[in-house]
Amino acid sequence: MKLDTSGFETTMPVIGFGSSSEMLDGFSSVPSFDLPRTTDFDGFQKKSVEMVKPAKGTTTLAFIFKEGVMVAADSRASMGGYISSQSVKKIIEINPYMLGTMAGGAADCQFWHRNLGIKCRLHELANKRRISVSGASKLLANMLYSYRGMGLSVGTMIAGWDETGPGLYYVDNEGGRLKGDRFSVGSGSPYAYGVLDSGYRFDMSVEEASELARRSIYHATFRDGASGGVASVYHVGPQGWKKLSGDDVGELHYHYYPVAPTTAEHEMAEAT
Amino acid sequence: MSIFEYNGSAVVAMVGKNCFAIASDRRLGVQLQTIATDFQRISKIHDHLFIGLSGLATDVQTLYQRLVFRHKLYQLREERDMKPETFASLVSAILYEKRFGPYLCQPVIAGLGDDNKPFICTMDSIGAKELAKDFVVSGTASESLYGACEAMFKPDMEAEELFETISQALLSSVDRDCLSGWGGHVYVVTPNEIKERILKGRMD
Repeated sequence: MKLDTSGFETTMPVIGFGSSSEMLDGFSSVPSFDLPRTTDFDGFQKKSVEMVKPAKGTTTLAFIFKEGVMVAADSRASMGGYISSQSVKKIIEINPYMLGTMAGGAADCQFWHRNLGIKCRLHELANKRRISVSGASKLLANMLYSYRGMGLSVGTMIAGWDETGPGLYYVDNEGGRLKGDRFSVGSGSPYAYGVLDSGYRFDMSVEEASELARRSIYHATFRDGASGGVASVYHVGPQGWKKLSGDDVGELHYHYYPVAPTTAEHEMAEAT
Repeated sequence: MSIFEYNGSAVVAMVGKNCFAIASDRRLGVQLQTIATDFQRISKIHDHLFIGLSGLATDVQTLYQRLVFRHKLYQLREERDMKPETFASLVSAILYEKRFGPYLCQPVIAGLGDDNKPFICTMDSIGAKELAKDFVVSGTASESLYGACEAMFKPDMEAEELFETISQALLSSVDRDCLSGWGGHVYVVTPNEIKERILKGRMD
C-alpha cells in the first residue's frame, strides 16, 4: 500500500548541491497552492473574490526626486465601514535597499512581498550582486500574472536604489507593471495626487520632499473615509532606506490648521 | 454599502439628573469621500425638546423641516409647546405614513417633560418607538456606541459629568467608524439653560 506522503511536501523547493535548478536562472518554481474541491469552481472563486473585496481602502504614494525615492502611506485597515486597525504597517521592507507598499488585501501583499524578498536574496547569492529594482518588480509582476483572475488583490509600488540610481515601479494584481516618477495607490489616491502633483519639483531637499509626502497623506486621510491613522514617511537613498517619520494624522490636522480660541465659549440660552 | 450608510452618521442621547445630553458627529460624506465637516444633525424643536436624525442626509433635512412645521402649527392651536412624549408619537405617525416608501432616517428624540423629567427615545425608519431610561444610539457607528455607552454610563449624572461621558462615548465610537466623525456636536440641556459645544476630534 502506498503511503500518503503529501503532508511531507513543502512549498519551498529544496536546491540540491550542484543541481542546475530553475531557481538559479531567475525563473523560480511557483509556490504550489491546493485548489478547492468543489462542484462549482467558478462560483466559489467568484465568492472568494468578493470576500477579499479588492476595494483597496488605503492611501500610499511614492515619488522620485533629486535625492532618491520618498515613500509614504497611511495605517488604517477597514472592513466595510468598520475600522479594524489604525496601526497597520503598509510599507514593507523587502530588503535594506528596497521597499514595497501595501494596498489591497493585506494577506496577499504581505505574502507576495516576503516571497519577493526571498527571490531577491536568492538572486544575490546566485549572481554575487544585488538585483535591480527593474528585475525585482518584474519577478513580482510575472508571479502575479500567473495568478490573474483568481482574486488576488495587490496594488503595490516597488521603490529602491540600484546601480542605475533610484527606481520606482507600480505593480498590480492584473499583472500590470509601470515605470514612473510619481504614483499613488488606493481609495485616497485622488486626494493625495492633488496635493502631490501641485507641490512636486524634482530638485527638492529631503526635508521638503518628506513634508510634501506627509501633507499628501494627511489630506487623503482627511477626505477619504478608508484612510487614516498614522502617516509614515520613508526615504530611499544610495545607502538604503530610512524611516523619517510616523505622525498621527489626528494631531497633524491641528498642527496644520490650529483652532483659534473664540471669545464666546458657550452659547447660553435662557429657557422660560 | 446600504443606503443608510451612504452619508454616514452617529447620534447618541443620554439621561442625567433633571437634564439630558444629545450629541452627534459632524461629517457629511458620499460613501467614502468626505464632503463637509459641519453638518447639522441635531435640531431644536423648542427649548426643552431636541431631535437628532441619522441616516440619509436629504431625508434628515426634509423630515426636520416637516416636523418643525407641524410643531409650529401645534403651538398656534394649543398656545403651548409640545410635550416630548407627544412629539415622539407625532414623529412615529409621520414615519409610518410613509410605510411603503419610507424616510431613510432614524430619529433620536430627547426632551424634558413634566416636572423636568428627562425623556429620550429612538425609532427605526418606519416609526417603531424604543423608549429607554439611560441612553439611545443611532447611525453607522451604533454598535460601537452601544458598547461605549454601556461601559461609561452611570445613572443620575449632573450636567458637567454627563457632558464628559457622552463626549467620550461619541468620540471613541466614531474613531472606529470610517463613515462618521470629523468632530462632534453636543447639547446639554437643563431646566434653565442649553449648553452647545463643538468637540475637537480626529479628522481622519
